[in-house]
Amino acid sequence: MAHNQEEAGVKKEKKFYISNTVTLVIVLIAMFVFFSLTSTHFLSTYNIVSMISNLSFMGIVAAVLTMVMISGEIDFSIGGNIGLTSVVAAILVDSGIPGWLVLILCLLMGCAIGVFNGFLVTVVGVNSIIATVGTMSVWRGLAYTFSDGRSVLAVDPVIDFLGRGNIVNIPFPIILFIIVFALCYVVMNQSKWGRKIYAVGVNPMASFLSGINVKQVKFLTFVLCGLAAALGGLILTSLSMVGMPQHGQGLELTIISAILLGGTALGGGKGQILGTLTGILILSVLLNGLTMLDVYYYHIQIAQGAVLVAVVATYEVRQKRLQQ
Amino acid sequence: MTKNNQIVLEMEHINKTFPGVVALDDVSIDLRKGEVLGILGENGAGKSTLIKILAGTYLKDSGSIIIEGKKVDFKNPAEAMDEGIRVIYQELNTLENLTAAENIFLGEQELRKPFPIISWKKMVEESKRILKQLNVDINPNTVMEDLSVSEKQVIEVAKAISKKAKILVMDEPTAALSEGDKDSLFEIIKTLKESGVSIIYISHRLKEIFEITDRVTVLRDGKKIQTVNTQDSDDNELVTMMVGRDISEMYPKRKVPIGEVVMKVKNLKAEEVEDVSFELRRGEILGIFGLLGSGKTHLVKALFGANPIKEGEIYLKGNKVNIKKPWQARDNNIGLVPVDRKMDGLALMLGVKENITLANIQDLGKGFLIKKSVEREKANRWVKNLGISTPSINQAVNSLSGGNQQKVVLARWLESGSKVIILNEPTRGIDVGSKVEIYKLMQDLCEKGAAVIMISSELPEILSISDRILVISRGRITGEYSTEEATEEKLMQTACIR
Repeated sequence: MAHNQEEAGVKKEKKFYISNTVTLVIVLIAMFVFFSLTSTHFLSTYNIVSMISNLSFMGIVAAVLTMVMISGEIDFSIGGNIGLTSVVAAILVDSGIPGWLVLILCLLMGCAIGVFNGFLVTVVGVNSIIATVGTMSVWRGLAYTFSDGRSVLAVDPVIDFLGRGNIVNIPFPIILFIIVFALCYVVMNQSKWGRKIYAVGVNPMASFLSGINVKQVKFLTFVLCGLAAALGGLILTSLSMVGMPQHGQGLELTIISAILLGGTALGGGKGQILGTLTGILILSVLLNGLTMLDVYYYHIQIAQGAVLVAVVATYEVRQKRLQQ
Repeated sequence: MTKNNQIVLEMEHINKTFPGVVALDDVSIDLRKGEVLGILGENGAGKSTLIKILAGTYLKDSGSIIIEGKKVDFKNPAEAMDEGIRVIYQELNTLENLTAAENIFLGEQELRKPFPIISWKKMVEESKRILKQLNVDINPNTVMEDLSVSEKQVIEVAKAISKKAKILVMDEPTAALSEGDKDSLFEIIKTLKESGVSIIYISHRLKEIFEITDRVTVLRDGKKIQTVNTQDSDDNELVTMMVGRDISEMYPKRKVPIGEVVMKVKNLKAEEVEDVSFELRRGEILGIFGLLGSGKTHLVKALFGANPIKEGEIYLKGNKVNIKKPWQARDNNIGLVPVDRKMDGLALMLGVKENITLANIQDLGKGFLIKKSVEREKANRWVKNLGISTPSINQAVNSLSGGNQQKVVLARWLESGSKVIILNEPTRGIDVGSKVEIYKLMQDLCEKGAAVIMISSELPEILSISDRILVISRGRITGEYSTEEATEEKLMQTACIR
């Protein structure tokens, strides 16, 4: 942590300093141009819209998880949370409970999951990696238990609208995605609470000794993260029309990759909501573009991993160069 | 000592810059065989940086290091160790759960060849031999936590010389020692000297420099001022070289009228704090003096709500207050400038403005959002009022000098409207000019009706700046002096009462 602090913040008095986020945007545009030129279908409205709809539930979770990570913690249980929410939503719909109530209940459950994670980390004092890797497995296990390992059909007008509805021709998940990102952006860049999140991530002790309730700040980010994952789970259920205990499996790593790609530091204190947005877009464009080019899925996985490592490696190299 | 002018070490034209500060500016020193060279300088003069370069911990920007005529270029501490350079840092680095012998041979255990098995017998015997050579009587099988601070330090010395040591560097070795322990340390230094080890002795205590060193090099603000034979010099000359000004300018003290009691602490008990009672008056600077491990920092934490209070009461202006967390302390107009500025005081990656407003984010506009113009206005005001030298209020504080960083922390509590300000080692690691400014600021605060608690282990500082001095040892107040009756000797003696 201390090491991290010394490394960062050295950016000063450099005339041509291009921020990491700008670099990422350039990478994104380059990829976009590349796929537009090489694939006939990539640039079609249909493809772009469906790509963004599909990434929107990930993006919502990523935006809020970025706040958790800037505060210096992490939440691995988001994937398990998505699976559990999806199963619970489908079972509730199946038992005839109205859609709007299912929605509220599931979001409340998401909050409760966040409360539990936050309690483990801030009150009990368990390291957040250990705590949430543990609860990740618990949520997933509960999802399998409740559904008996099967998929449950979830057809209800309210739930349907969440993932597949449109407002003035714009898919509803995209609208949600934009709203969540905008809110997170305002919180992190303009609000008092966002300032506290950054301060706590940069130096929890100095923040505590300045009268900031460090535990409360972190706790609240966990609760919001649980809520965001539940919303993501609901959208995913809606998109696929079924509640499945496998929903969101492995998603935590994809989302964390996107956040790291976007320049957020694992140690906390450093990161940008817009960076995460770019990170998510890069990973999605890569996946979508390569699929359009008929690249074998196994190879796409290699490409995604390679991009993450390559980009984060350039951050380190740039950081070292800046220090000299 | 035999006259021996063989030069063991030369460091020539060493330069080192950190972001925002020139730590060393063309510094050269030389060290002769079997001598004790003192390096004298205020905090922030560059002593530690110089030593860390010698020890391979920092890389120099330019300059050369020559050991026994051979040019060396250390890239890491291991390479410096191979050349026989040993450093004993101010903070002890012993492993408390291991025995003395294990600590002495840490990482270099004697092996029972040809198998890689530790020969405990040989290790203990060797330890006995080394300790005997140092003329001390410590059983090598004792677990470290059962040893006293000074005995631990002896083990550090033993560890340093267990492997062929040519040059031994001691960084403020007496910081935690009582007078008697100091004498035995000096005996050890003399023994080592006679066996041909060259010693660099770093201190800012003049008395010790005269007692133990043969020559002394004075550093100030990263520059070498001069090297003199210790016996040809005197207090005045060294002080002038060290601070670059007269002592009375160094510690400006104004008469501030002292008013009613603003804070009263009664039988306070907390971690490492056994029983502390005192009163603090309006306009007063109350100095608290204590050695390392005396409980002074724990006392500060308890007062500020960072450590739980077990027993006892705190009254502010006659009203009993219940301070369990730092935000309660802040809301009761108490401010804290912690001892470790970088670890506990500042969010280094954030800007000057963010750090100034850190304790009062709630006041940056109505409602949920920060009003940027309010924040800028507040930050600019304090940067101007306190003379914080920074290119802009958005500058990350880690590139500021120590003195300016300290002013940023102070500005935070002024912005918060603190009436009782606790400063723990307020001038540690900052240059002379900034020190004087900090002293002036403290007195400005007092004139405006605040009260200051200043914890310090700098004797001249505490003797000159305080209105009244408390001495703390083992978590208890062992003495109280008015400025007139206090002397260095009295404070040291009272601080060593167990």
